[in-house]
Amino acid sequence: MTALWTVFAVILRDQRSALLRGAALSLVVLVMGVALLGLSGWFITAAAAAGLAGAGAVFDVFRPSAMVRFLALGRAAARYGERVLTHDATLRALESLRLRVLAAHLAAPHGAMIRIRGAQALNRLTADIDALDGVPLRLVLPLIAGALAQILALAALWLLVAPGVALWVVGGYVLGAALIFGRMAVVAVPLSRRAETAAQAFRSRLIDLIRARRDLAVYGQLAAQAGAAMEAEARRFALRRRLDRAERWTGAALAALASLVAAGALGIGMTLVQAGLFEPAFAALGFFAALALAETLMPLRRAAADLGRMADAARRVARDLAPQAAPPAGEVPQGTSLCVADATLHRPGSRLPVLSGLSLTVAAGETVAITGASGSGKSTLLLAVAGLHPLAAGQISLGGLAVADWPEASLRGVLTLLPQRSTLMEGTVAEALRLAIDAGDAQLWQVLAAVQLDGVIHAKGGLSARIGPRGEGVSGGEARRLALARALLRRPQVLLLDEPTEGLDDATAALVLRGIRAELPGAAIVIAAHRQVETAAADRVLELR
Amino acid sequence: MAQTQPQSAATQAATDLLAPGGVLQRRAARLSVLAALLWPLQAGVVALALGALLTGAAASPLLAALAFAGLGLLRAGLGLLAEARAQAAAEAVIAAARARIVAAEARRAEDSPFGGAGSIAALAGEKLDLLAPYVTRYAPAMARVRVVPLVILALAFWHSWAVGVVLLISGPLIPVFMALIGLAAKEASARQMAEIGTLNDFLVERLSALVDIRLLGAGAAVQEGFAAQAGDLRARTMAVLRVAFLSSTVLELFAAIGVAMVAVYVGFSLLGALSFGAWGGAISPEAGIFLLLLAPEFYQPLRDLSAAWHDKAAATAVIEEVEVWAADPGLQLPGTGGTAMRLEGPASVALLGCQTPAGLALPDIRIAAGERVALVGASGTGKTSALRLMAGLELPVAGQVVVAGQGLTAGNADGWRARLGWMPQAPHFLSGSLRQNLTLGRDGDLGAALATAAVGEVVAAMPQGLATRLGETGGGLSGGEARRITLARAVHGAPDLILADEPTADLDAATARIVTEGLLAQAARGVTLIVATHDRQLAARMDRIIEIGGAQ
Repeated sequence: MTALWTVFAVILRDQRSALLRGAALSLVVLVMGVALLGLSGWFITAAAAAGLAGAGAVFDVFRPSAMVRFLALGRAAARYGERVLTHDATLRALESLRLRVLAAHLAAPHGAMIRIRGAQALNRLTADIDALDGVPLRLVLPLIAGALAQILALAALWLLVAPGVALWVVGGYVLGAALIFGRMAVVAVPLSRRAETAAQAFRSRLIDLIRARRDLAVYGQLAAQAGAAMEAEARRFALRRRLDRAERWTGAALAALASLVAAGALGIGMTLVQAGLFEPAFAALGFFAALALAETLMPLRRAAADLGRMADAARRVARDLAPQAAPPAGEVPQGTSLCVADATLHRPGSRLPVLSGLSLTVAAGETVAITGASGSGKSTLLLAVAGLHPLAAGQISLGGLAVADWPEASLRGVLTLLPQRSTLMEGTVAEALRLAIDAGDAQLWQVLAAVQLDGVIHAKGGLSARIGPRGEGVSGGEARRLALARALLRRPQVLLLDEPTEGLDDATAALVLRGIRAELPGAAIVIAAHRQVETAAADRVLELR
Repeated sequence: MAQTQPQSAATQAATDLLAPGGVLQRRAARLSVLAALLWPLQAGVVALALGALLTGAAASPLLAALAFAGLGLLRAGLGLLAEARAQAAAEAVIAAARARIVAAEARRAEDSPFGGAGSIAALAGEKLDLLAPYVTRYAPAMARVRVVPLVILALAFWHSWAVGVVLLISGPLIPVFMALIGLAAKEASARQMAEIGTLNDFLVERLSALVDIRLLGAGAAVQEGFAAQAGDLRARTMAVLRVAFLSSTVLELFAAIGVAMVAVYVGFSLLGALSFGAWGGAISPEAGIFLLLLAPEFYQPLRDLSAAWHDKAAATAVIEEVEVWAADPGLQLPGTGGTAMRLEGPASVALLGCQTPAGLALPDIRIAAGERVALVGASGTGKTSALRLMAGLELPVAGQVVVAGQGLTAGNADGWRARLGWMPQAPHFLSGSLRQNLTLGRDGDLGAALATAAVGEVVAAMPQGLATRLGETGGGLSGGEARRITLARAVHGAPDLILADEPTADLDAATARIVTEGLLAQAARGVTLIVATHDRQLAARMDRIIEIGGAQ
């Protein structure tokens, strides 16, 4: 629940005016609806009384009937405005949430960045955000607009009809709705969470069944895996039934509440008329207004039904939206000589050292290759130098200042890492390259030539050639070289390359490595090398054991 | 004939998919109509009560309140029963469709052309859930539209032909607008779904490239770009939505004008200013109040239906997707993929005149028990396909696979596979612990298997050892480590024959050596070893090299 409020507070902070406008018009629609039905009831009954009394000729029909017409047409117009404004607010909330999530993840630690990259984690995140789009419009705003409409109705009925009727109607609705909604929230939130867990289990088991179907078949586990998926589905099904039951009881309770409140308003009104306290027309006004106020209950049912899913999603997303510690804004150091002294690194998520007591100095213009079997810590070392992996012991400094103390922006200005795996986003070749820096076409062609890619890009249609989602339509070797070209555009003073020539044949790899050095003659270059052509291009080779 | 076929096929698919909820859905519709028809009775109670107040006739407030409340509770109760039926119908439909997808996917021998695991899981998961609102909201609303307005129209004509005429004229106009709105709303919701989808796609693209964005110092620029794109999308979506809202406002406007005309007509009649419209003189106060209470309910089912319109659009889209998924059942896996008794006979395998399902003709291959054989050849010539035929994962379209001295059939495929060790080129780890991934439910000496693959230190270095959870991303295993885990998994069941697809590809020399030695140690135990490889060093360690596609 706190998480839900956090999410709403974030949206409110970003989109205050859009939400307020939407809420105000929602209230106008509710008030006009109540006024329309109340006035119509009063008008008909008063007209009938006047007709029976033979006073039809002196009864003012024009003002009430004009009001009825005004309210009828005005309500339709206000409803249009409400729909436009609330949908605009929803879309803004959608935008705001996604932008916040993106910003939070951009500032996250490297381990979290890697975890979010899997397709399932991404699906989960987008499904959560989709569930939260409705928080302002299906949950918070209808509750506020409904409560305000009830308060206005209390005042109006108190003054126009009788305090007893006003207290019965508004008191009955507010207390009844609070009880029903509260009960549903208590039941639904834990059930929704468990149902969601079961649904996720079904999902990942089915994905495993499909991705590993041949392995499972050989090991005789395919039928068991299908059974495990259906077992999760059976669990979800049972929970869903309980949720459905709670939801329809909520709906029935709200419908019964509306009938009881209106019946009471009718009974109390009739008693007061028979006691001679007011005209029958006012009893009709009270009854019809009570009937119309039932509209404030309508959104509650949907809100209660979605509450569990929203609370569950908010719990996960609110963690991401937590304010990030601001990066230290120290002064920018001078000089960029790289020095690793007696460094010890742990495996991600483990306390076991992957590498210990390593020392290394790389001067400007020097190329060092680091070799070693897979798992010997080459990639972890490069990540640590780039400030993305914590040091367990020792020191890594750049220009005399520990890497961890560098301000993020300054560090990225002088140091670039080409990670083992990079992702290209959908767009043109030029857009992919300009992610590094807003450079002119000539500069782009120059780095493409340095990595032997100018011919390929020409053949694909130049800088405006399209790259599909997640780098579709670009081969592995081409993607590698595009990422390399992008790194070169940064013109770093320290360039870290993790298996830079993977997927290239020996001749091309040698040309690419030569191109990199020619492009950045003064840079300190460290290569995590796994093939001979890469170590051959280095001035020095350091083998990790 | 040929032109009407897709249409009727689509209708047939919808009927089939919704069939499990059929009876319940019809009961739900009847109960929901019955509940709606209680409103005229409640309106009658109110009309009589207020009429009595006007004429000064004796009327018990308690009785009126009890009658109105009692009918209201009955209506809520009927609504509850209707919804229970509708929800049960929806669950039955969804559960049946889900079971069908899981069962069909477990019978396939290869991936569906429909899409990857993620798309199929999305279809079987959240997309099937979209059928629920259609069954629980749209279908009952449709039933009410067919009955309730007609009943109210008849009641209106019974009391006043003028009110009947007002409703009659505004009523039929509404379906016309409904059609227009339906079209606009369908388009708008489709567009909106597409736009939200696009915004999600933008986000997903950026989230999958987080590390690159950070390393390139492009965080701020990427956020600005995303905000601009999102704002642009919002402006375009709102333009579409305004049109859709305008059409539904027209529907509300007609309903409002209808109710206001009834109210004004009834008011003037009661004052005696109008003397036409009712049967036999002026309208009575009771009839006037009754008609005013009925008028909004005349339009309500139509408004419910229009509110549920996008439920239908969403359900139709899902039904179409299920149909596309079901269109190609694909190649079926021989056998069930379950556990079975090991097939008796020597651990030998032969491919005789085989043609793969993809249409590749393979040379005759005869491998005796205990032999070590390398299959070599350029990419795409059928090495992997040959391994799949030998493993009984596919049956050849022509020719015969002979295993353990007998022809491989769907009947003995499970028993044959129970004797195999299998190393695929790209392993997918199940979301579960490392131990579960290694044993896959089979008994045996796990320590020996780990030793064979020299993977003990890798396991020790994992945060929680064998209990570490692996998932989609391999739980932090490097490519070489993942390959060694696959070897340990293959060795674990004490197989009689090991099939390995490119076991040393993309590995550094040290790891390749570990994997090669591990495989040869198994061969020394008498296991038949068949590797498909590009690695000349590995191939040279085998007894025999078989060239596949070499003749071309």
